[in-house]
Amino acid sequence: MRVCALAELPDGERRLVEVDGRTIGVFNVEGELYALHDRCPHRGGSLCHGRLTGTTEAAPGVTPIGYVRPGRVLRCAWHGWEFDIATGRSLVDPRIRARTYPVEVVDGEVQLVLDVRRDEAQADQPPGLGNLAPWR
Amino acid sequence: MIDCDVHNAWASSRELHPYLDPYHRDAVERGELPGGRDSFPHAHRPWLHPEGFERADAVPPSGGTPGSDYGFMCEQLLDRYDIEYAILTGDEAIEISTLANPYLASALARAVNDWTVERWLSLGDDRLRASVVVAPQDPQGAAAEIRRLAGHPGFVQVLVSSGSTRPYGDPFYGPIWDAATEAGLPFAVHLGGQGGLNAHPVGCGPPTFFWELHALLMETGMGHVASTIAHGVFERWPGARLVLIECGVAWLPALLWRLDADYKALRKETPWLTRLPSEYAREHIRLSTQPLEDPPEREHLYAALEAIDGEHTLLFATDYPHWDFDNPELIHLPHAWRERVMSENARELYGLPRRTPVPTGTLS
Repeated sequence: MRVCALAELPDGERRLVEVDGRTIGVFNVEGELYALHDRCPHRGGSLCHGRLTGTTEAAPGVTPIGYVRPGRVLRCAWHGWEFDIATGRSLVDPRIRARTYPVEVVDGEVQLVLDVRRDEAQADQPPGLGNLAPWR
Repeated sequence: MIDCDVHNAWASSRELHPYLDPYHRDAVERGELPGGRDSFPHAHRPWLHPEGFERADAVPPSGGTPGSDYGFMCEQLLDRYDIEYAILTGDEAIEISTLANPYLASALARAVNDWTVERWLSLGDDRLRASVVVAPQDPQGAAAEIRRLAGHPGFVQVLVSSGSTRPYGDPFYGPIWDAATEAGLPFAVHLGGQGGLNAHPVGCGPPTFFWELHALLMETGMGHVASTIAHGVFERWPGARLVLIECGVAWLPALLWRLDADYKALRKETPWLTRLPSEYAREHIRLSTQPLEDPPEREHLYAALEAIDGEHTLLFATDYPHWDFDNPELIHLPHAWRERVMSENARELYGLPRRTPVPTGTLS
């Protein structure tokens, strides 16, 4: 599915598109394109409206905190859960995963690859999230 | 559903200036404001949220402060979730409890409440109800403010921060309980105001990290539950209702078990009590659900909530537009409790009539 011309999605930008009732965010991160479902696996919050930023890891020194992976960590707009922009995996528990989609550039056009079989494979809830069943 | 915690905000605290008396207006317009000229005066808490308090997607299209744009609030919350009533709790207003000067604190409270009437309750949206914000460090001023607004049907509760110089059962607050119960308004305590004048250390000292602090949001709630029960607030004012907002819920049964056990042993300290602490709590204390504890085994949570008769004592809330917002479509509570927790408990507590739904888009 065509998203836009590549020229319309410069580095550091994102676009949100509607596909079959889903919202998918397409991101250009230093020339690499990534797409994620705009629905956080935590509580359904808007993942793709969140900040794309870095994260931290333990580091030596008087302040034992190092800043790493700038621009490659997507924080959900609601509760701030961190997901790797490329794999959609949660930084806290890699088994928890936002749904991702392949993105291609064909003739200067950004194309979202919507593979039915892959979607079904990712449709199972990750382990460890027992509470996503809705109230209804 | 009835959302018992919606944070309506001002885009700039300058919006309050017209509602301030001349002396305090000068102070706020020209005097020191640690946060800068658009900020609201308070003595800040020592913990800073490393990402900010608001949902990143709650910034209105016009720009500005999340929660300050009524139209966007309709879109993201009131219409989106088909909310019957939203109880507005303001945003920074309750931080007035952190100020040492009670006259300034009460002046700000008056301005906030007048702003609420003019900017929110006069919009013509019957879904909105609001809280009378008062300065707990000024009990006489707070009582006068409650009496001033008691007749306004848009206000459904008195509101203070959970941070305080003393817990809310202390006789120091007698005038506030007097005025609130006289007006038939619940006394609501919302998480906040933990700084400045209220920087009383917890026995083991303050937490360091923001998430560490946030997980401890029950601490102040516990203090107020124990205090109001032990001091006999619910004996002296039989119509009193204490509402805890954003203090968590799953801790309450353990506290009530201990209060009951210790009361049974040392009842002699508080001879004015005629019932068990847990009995007072069941009748007089209500808790908002957000942020609802989220254990891996949902049944563990349900067991704790059954122990406090959660079906009748919990009030659903989203805490919109804050970062720890609870999604009403994915809230994990026993299905059989739904109608009571999502609506009827709040309807009873706040005396809210059943609304005939108005089609969206009919308000000009």
